[in-house]
Amino acid sequence: MMRMLIAVVALLVAIPAHAIDGAALLKQVDRNLNPESYESYRKLVNVEPDGRRKEYTLFTVKKGADKVASLFLAPASDKGRSTLRLGDNMWLYIPNVGKPVRITSLQSVVGGVFNNADILQLDYAAEYTVEKVEEGEKEYLLHLKAKTKAVAYDRLRLRADRTSKLPKKIECLTEANMLIKTIHFKDVKDFGGGIVRPSVMETDSPLYKGYKSVMIFAKLKAKDFKDEVFTLTFMPNVESLR
Amino acid sequence: MKAAPCILFVVLWLLGGLSYAAFAEEYTFDESEIEKKSYHIGGYAEFRPVLFGLDRGASLYKLKFYNRDEGATLEEYNAALQLEGGLEKGIARIFVRTNSEYQNSYLGGHFKTSVYEGFLSIRPSSSLTIDIGKKALKWGKGYAWNPVAFVDRPKDPDEPEQNLEGFIVASADCIKSFQGPLKTVSFTPILVPAYQDVNDDFGGTGHMNFAAKLYLLIYDTDIDFMALSGGSKPRRYGADFSRNIRTNLEIHGEFAFLKDYEKRFLSESGELVDKKKDVASYLAGIRYLTETDTTYILEYYRNGTGFTENEMTGYFTFIDNAYNAYVPSGSDMLLKKALKATSGNYGRPNLMRDYIYLRASRKEPFDILYFTPSITWIYNMNDKSYSLSPEILYIGIKNLDLRLRASILKGERFSEYGEKQNDWKMEFRARYYF
Repeated sequence: MMRMLIAVVALLVAIPAHAIDGAALLKQVDRNLNPESYESYRKLVNVEPDGRRKEYTLFTVKKGADKVASLFLAPASDKGRSTLRLGDNMWLYIPNVGKPVRITSLQSVVGGVFNNADILQLDYAAEYTVEKVEEGEKEYLLHLKAKTKAVAYDRLRLRADRTSKLPKKIECLTEANMLIKTIHFKDVKDFGGGIVRPSVMETDSPLYKGYKSVMIFAKLKAKDFKDEVFTLTFMPNVESLR
Repeated sequence: MKAAPCILFVVLWLLGGLSYAAFAEEYTFDESEIEKKSYHIGGYAEFRPVLFGLDRGASLYKLKFYNRDEGATLEEYNAALQLEGGLEKGIARIFVRTNSEYQNSYLGGHFKTSVYEGFLSIRPSSSLTIDIGKKALKWGKGYAWNPVAFVDRPKDPDEPEQNLEGFIVASADCIKSFQGPLKTVSFTPILVPAYQDVNDDFGGTGHMNFAAKLYLLIYDTDIDFMALSGGSKPRRYGADFSRNIRTNLEIHGEFAFLKDYEKRFLSESGELVDKKKDVASYLAGIRYLTETDTTYILEYYRNGTGFTENEMTGYFTFIDNAYNAYVPSGSDMLLKKALKATSGNYGRPNLMRDYIYLRASRKEPFDILYFTPSITWIYNMNDKSYSLSPEILYIGIKNLDLRLRASILKGERFSEYGEKQNDWKMEFRARYYF
């Protein structure tokens, strides 16, 4: 009897000790992916079913959980365009048009499988709550639910490596659990300054059969910016931050 | 003429396909691509042939072609070179954009070069930017029209994304960010001189005008308040807003109030009539993206400065009377008077009161890569005339945009689109960015 009692007490104590704090784990995944404030360069490659490619080069700055701005450096037809995201607000500045216009998260300024929410990605913890964490032998599976209806994907299934706590694969789902796209994280690279993370994100989608979009990261480093940089008025001047 | 753009279109498409197929499979990111230079040079070159189908019974045809016979169709060839360059040193930056156009039409060859923008920008901090020089400010949230664009030249709703020539100004952008529902405040004061050799087309000369804009991002809504005074133009005040209300739906609006606006129009008898009164112009619009990747832009525009149906009928009747007088007599005195009034008062786009703009564009339908077909409808609610413009855009070749567009103009006698010089228009545009 005493043994049984000890076993039950031990089990009760042990369960909380092994329960994973999903929110803390998600924040850890975010921080392992990027510093809270940083600058980086990215190349976006849209690959069509017949192998044709279209490439864009972007300079990106981010501050805190919900401020991101990007500037197109190439190709020449898009050079000078900039995008800004402040929480759920997104804008596109086209030099020819001469003023920022609001865009929505489901549109895509570059075409292909990446939409604006993917290109101007915030911290996952800023947009999602953790509903459940499953522990596998080598990975965690986080079930994420969007905090608001303004978020591009209602649910995410994020698989993160147990050791590095870096994402390996994210499945983006609708409210009805329909798969919209899958993001694969590849080629972990040391960017310096303690940043070790996947340098390639590859996306495919059952909605765009045969299409693939790839995001390649370079020169990712921690850097702080003033809040005023992330404003509509500053959008024509993002180049000055490089 | 009609076949040439289509053949060019197909050849370039095939060439584009071959060049893309030649790419290797690996992803590379050469860091020399992202090296920052203190200067940049870029721009585009454009070739744009246009074929007009003339309406020989229309008032504006009679006005322009009364002394010549150009047949049923008219060809026009346009070429443009837009160059821009920037030089950055410390907190200072110089930017210049020039536009050179060559037009060959029934009037012969015509070449024009303009400096669209050329200004010095000083940025002591990310909160403050001071600009001095020629600059296009582009106020307003509307896509096709901007009643609050007090310091801009009017844009063409047929080409709302074209660069516009600016005015010589001195301006400052002061920005402050906050936490909470009010996220951003920025204030932009502007001086707009209008003298004999400076901005002489801004309005009345001999004035130093002052304009200002206050921008707020509050409760996830962009809101601007703006004003212009100084004497060159009637005093005016305005406001605009824009907000995403769903992940695929944006709404926007503008309101402008003009004090003592002076409208000048030509009466049926040829008398120039001036009317002065306070007027309001406004616009409401949405931008909606469907699940099938079709974007709809819908706007309603109330042009308080526009002409009434009676005023337009008077103008068209005067032209017709002037033409009828010219035919037997050979005297074009009245037609010249109408031409003068047209360039001064009737030359702007959409000069009546109530309009609807609807544009639907579908990205890559039926898996046809890099194609975006669109259709644009501009409807004059007052006289029920309209223009309908289907187009296809192909961007499959790096840095090259190819666009084929047709426009059909329909309307009754004495209506805005019914009295245009042409019934239809076919246009091809090849634009190469560098």
